[in-house]
Amino acid sequence: MPMPSSDRAPVLVIAEQRAGNLNPVTWETVAAAQALGGAVAVAVAGTGIAGAAAELAAADVAEVLVLEDPALESYTPDGHIAALASLVEQERPGLVLFPHTYQTRDYAPALANRLGGVLIPDCVGAEVRDAGLVLLRPMFQGKFVAEVAPAGPGPHCISFQIGAWRADAAARGGAAATRTVPVSVDGSTIRQRPEAPFQEAKQAVDLTQAERIVAVGRGIKGQEHLPLVQELARALGAEVAASRPICDSGWLPMDRQIGSSGQTVSPKLYVALGISGAIQHLVGMKGSRTIVAVNKDADAPIFEVADYGIVGDLFEVVPALVAALGE
Amino acid sequence: MLIVGGGPAGLAAAYRLATRHRGPGGDPPVVAVLEKSREAGAHMLSGAVLDPSALTDLMPDWRSRGAPVEVPVTEDRIYFLTERRRIPFPVTPPPLRNHGNYVISLNRLVRWLAGQVEAAGVDIFAGFAGAELLYEGDRVVGVRTGDRGIDREGNRKATFEPGVDIRAQVTVLADGVRGNLTKSLVERFRLDGGRLPQVYAVGIKELWDVPAGRLPAGAVIHTLGYPLPHEQFGGGFLYALPDGALSVGFVAGLDYRDPGFDPHSAFQRFKRHPLVAGLLAGGEMVRYGAKALPEGGWHAIPRCHVDGALIVGDAAGFLNSMRLKGIHLAMQSGIAAADAALDALEAWDTSAERLARYAALVESGPIRRELHPVRNVHQAFAGGLLPGLLYSGLSLVTGGWWIRDPMPAHPGHQRMQHVRGERSAAPDAVPVDRRLTFDKLTNVHYSGTRHDEDQPSHLLVQDTDVCRTRCREEYGNPCTRFCPAAVYEMVDARGGGKRLQINASNCVHCKTCDIMDPYQIIDWVPPEGGGGPRYEGM
Ligand SMILES: Cc1cc2nc3c(=O)[nH]c(=O)nc-3n(C[C@H](O)[C@H](O)[C@H](O)COP(=O)(O)OP(=O)(O)OC[C@H]3O[C@@H](n4cnc5c(N)ncnc54)[C@H](O)[C@@H]3O)c2cc1C
Ligand SMILES: Cc1cc2nc3c(=O)[nH]c(=O)nc-3n(C[C@H](O)[C@H](O)[C@H](O)COP(=O)(O)OP(=O)(O)OC[C@H]3O[C@@H](n4cnc5c(N)ncnc54)[C@H](O)[C@@H]3O)c2cc1C
Ligand code: SF4
Repeated sequence: MPMPSSDRAPVLVIAEQRAGNLNPVTWETVAAAQALGGAVAVAVAGTGIAGAAAELAAADVAEVLVLEDPALESYTPDGHIAALASLVEQERPGLVLFPHTYQTRDYAPALANRLGGVLIPDCVGAEVRDAGLVLLRPMFQGKFVAEVAPAGPGPHCISFQIGAWRADAAARGGAAATRTVPVSVDGSTIRQRPEAPFQEAKQAVDLTQAERIVAVGRGIKGQEHLPLVQELARALGAEVAASRPICDSGWLPMDRQIGSSGQTVSPKLYVALGISGAIQHLVGMKGSRTIVAVNKDADAPIFEVADYGIVGDLFEVVPALVAALGE
Repeated sequence: MLIVGGGPAGLAAAYRLATRHRGPGGDPPVVAVLEKSREAGAHMLSGAVLDPSALTDLMPDWRSRGAPVEVPVTEDRIYFLTERRRIPFPVTPPPLRNHGNYVISLNRLVRWLAGQVEAAGVDIFAGFAGAELLYEGDRVVGVRTGDRGIDREGNRKATFEPGVDIRAQVTVLADGVRGNLTKSLVERFRLDGGRLPQVYAVGIKELWDVPAGRLPAGAVIHTLGYPLPHEQFGGGFLYALPDGALSVGFVAGLDYRDPGFDPHSAFQRFKRHPLVAGLLAGGEMVRYGAKALPEGGWHAIPRCHVDGALIVGDAAGFLNSMRLKGIHLAMQSGIAAADAALDALEAWDTSAERLARYAALVESGPIRRELHPVRNVHQAFAGGLLPGLLYSGLSLVTGGWWIRDPMPAHPGHQRMQHVRGERSAAPDAVPVDRRLTFDKLTNVHYSGTRHDEDQPSHLLVQDTDVCRTRCREEYGNPCTRFCPAAVYEMVDARGGGKRLQINASNCVHCKTCDIMDPYQIIDWVPPEGGGGPRYEGM
């Protein structure tokens, strides 16, 4: 396939910015575009993006295209797709390149679809050969590289894995013309309402930091009895944790599982209620300073690691403990 | 060329293709191997006494290339065990003699072979399981790998990666005993039509570190008798490696009648026998694992060629059950398949007719030479191979080790009898001391087994209602016993009664449940690639 011809810059790079700050991975995509040869334009969409546009104008590219619209103030997929679709229809590039960021993953598939083209995501390289453009895509977690050639009229959307090109390989030194492209986005067509930027949710509990843990196992019989355990934990100022069957049944969330496929903890106090002490559980808690075990089976292996063992029915022992702690 | 399964069979085929052949145009054919274990060889569990003949055929200079095949068999003993005593067989019957063979770790051998194969230019994709075969009409055109990043409810996680279709001119199925792809291919084309049903056994094994001086490296011991009753097929083995490493294992036929039988308990009992306990005393168990093996022999091998695909190794059933040896036959079949596949590629004809050359190579080569004479083991023995001295013990022996009489005409799971009366004939539980004997969960810990816990169960049980109703009554839920990894448990259900709980992440990929479930409603499918045991030195 020959390089797509078009009356404007054949390669369009979509820059990514947030609150007017350019995401530096944009430079990697600029480097990719330059490596393909041909004229390159870079587009940036949003509000308050003059600074970002000026920064981009330092690149050795033909043009920087600015898309300003109040509806683009915060990122929404619908807003972005509408603005960029309109841009591509006006400029008619052959290739549209993106850095493979979370934002790109969010809207680029739908944009490509709107443009009637395809998206070739997460590429690690591109080469122009005699037969045309060939993109390199990792498969099998990077053990294999597939060569993909876009077919059909285009425009072809391509995203590049972060780190596939070096940002400092982007040629600069130009003073690219900056041009404002009129796009108007009808705010009422935007279905998403942006919220405050997503913060990585902190794990609800960090059991590894807990000083005291009350852990419950299958001896508890049913989810309906869990309040008994929670009561003891409250009385001790402890976090609640569990063996695998409890989390497996969904009675407690998986991040409360202690053991080889859960968390490894070493609190000052670890109370094991109705836990047999399978080795997969022990490896997660045997480093605890003081271990108290309640189990009605005197031969349960948990007693081999316990400092204090109570052979008894937890449904009797636990209420008694709670009562004693209350005094 | 695509090979599914990086065991001895698959890697032998890969090595042969990459080194012996030039594809059309003089270039070596492009060969890829898919292997479900995270690292090459990590799902290998064997005895193992290696007959090196096939390795020599594949790679005559294996010694100078540093193959981990270093310990020649030095002595070879067979005992018949009673509960307390052992009766030596004064003469080892010739088919069981191990002169010229080596005691090895198949893990180590396969890991080394994988290195040789990669150096020869083959890509090994470890951590990727073949989930299903791809067809065009009735022609196999490749394999679809499993999706990754699906949570236990079946939703896509952030790490979701769909499976990939890998297309190939010829697909070689080397997916081992009861391989999931081979199973589906055999069912689709009824490749086992007119053959005897395949029968299986399960081998449970531990690797021990024992104090110096117990057994010289290269010593090989086989046992029959205790703890199995006369009519039950199976036996024990002890293979000594250097530096006090000792392989201890027990093989139990998966055609037992008593639904209360638990192969893991039988293995614990075997270790408590004075012969074995004495060798293990003061030692330490360092690894555990289990794996099934095909035992049906020559008459149970299905047709192994279809349009676009071949079946090799344990997947096909090329195992000499009398010698408990399959590694060399797996490799021989891999070599034959490679030769046949390349012949087909060169002719631009990978139809079943052309690939039938594989069957011809098996017929004319070392595989038939070895398997055909023992196609009916009983006859071979009656033909005078057993010294007369043993004759008086023959009634005991025929139920015993590596000797099946008569050749079963039914799949093993059909032989299981209903529970009679209150309890089955199974003896009382074996005491677990966690020094010599272990419970299943502790053992599983020593298999290094790991799966991403947040994925759908890879043990598909079509109808779990049967478990709490019919099976509970008829067989007393034998899955809770035959699984050597405590995957299946019957637990109290909410509204009373019991329900089946599947701890899929315990699974050591032995395939016993797929084979032995009396209703044949358990389907073992590969979990997310990379999951499973992590055997080392096994
Ligand atoms: C690969 C793998 C990974 C695993 N990872 C983990 C892991 O990360 N964490 C984990 O916990 N497990 C893990 N397991 C599972 C582990 O092997 C055990 O199955 C599990 O820990 C058992 O949980 P339990 O002790 O709650 O249940 P059980 O073993 O069923 O024990 C219940 C105990 O409760 C006692 N009991 C019953 N009723 C009462 C009563 N009324 N009062 C007092 N006591 C009573 C019983 O005597 C028994 O000892 C893993 C297993 C494998 C194979
Ligand atoms: C306990 C025991 C003792 C034995 N002792 C001996 C002995 O002393 N001497 C001897 O010669 N033989 C012995 N054998 C038999 C021998 O181990 C086998 O015959 C041999 O390993 C078969 O090789 P294979 O390549 O056909 O299958 P395997 O060795 O089983 O290899 C199959 C491979 O395919 C992979 N796989 C399976 N399904 C898939 C999938 N869907 N996608 C990707 N990969 C997949 C598996 O992970 C595995 O790595 C013993 C077997 C057992 C169980
Ligand atoms: S679940 Fe099946 S394959 Fe897995 S360990 Fe148990 S018996 Fe073997």
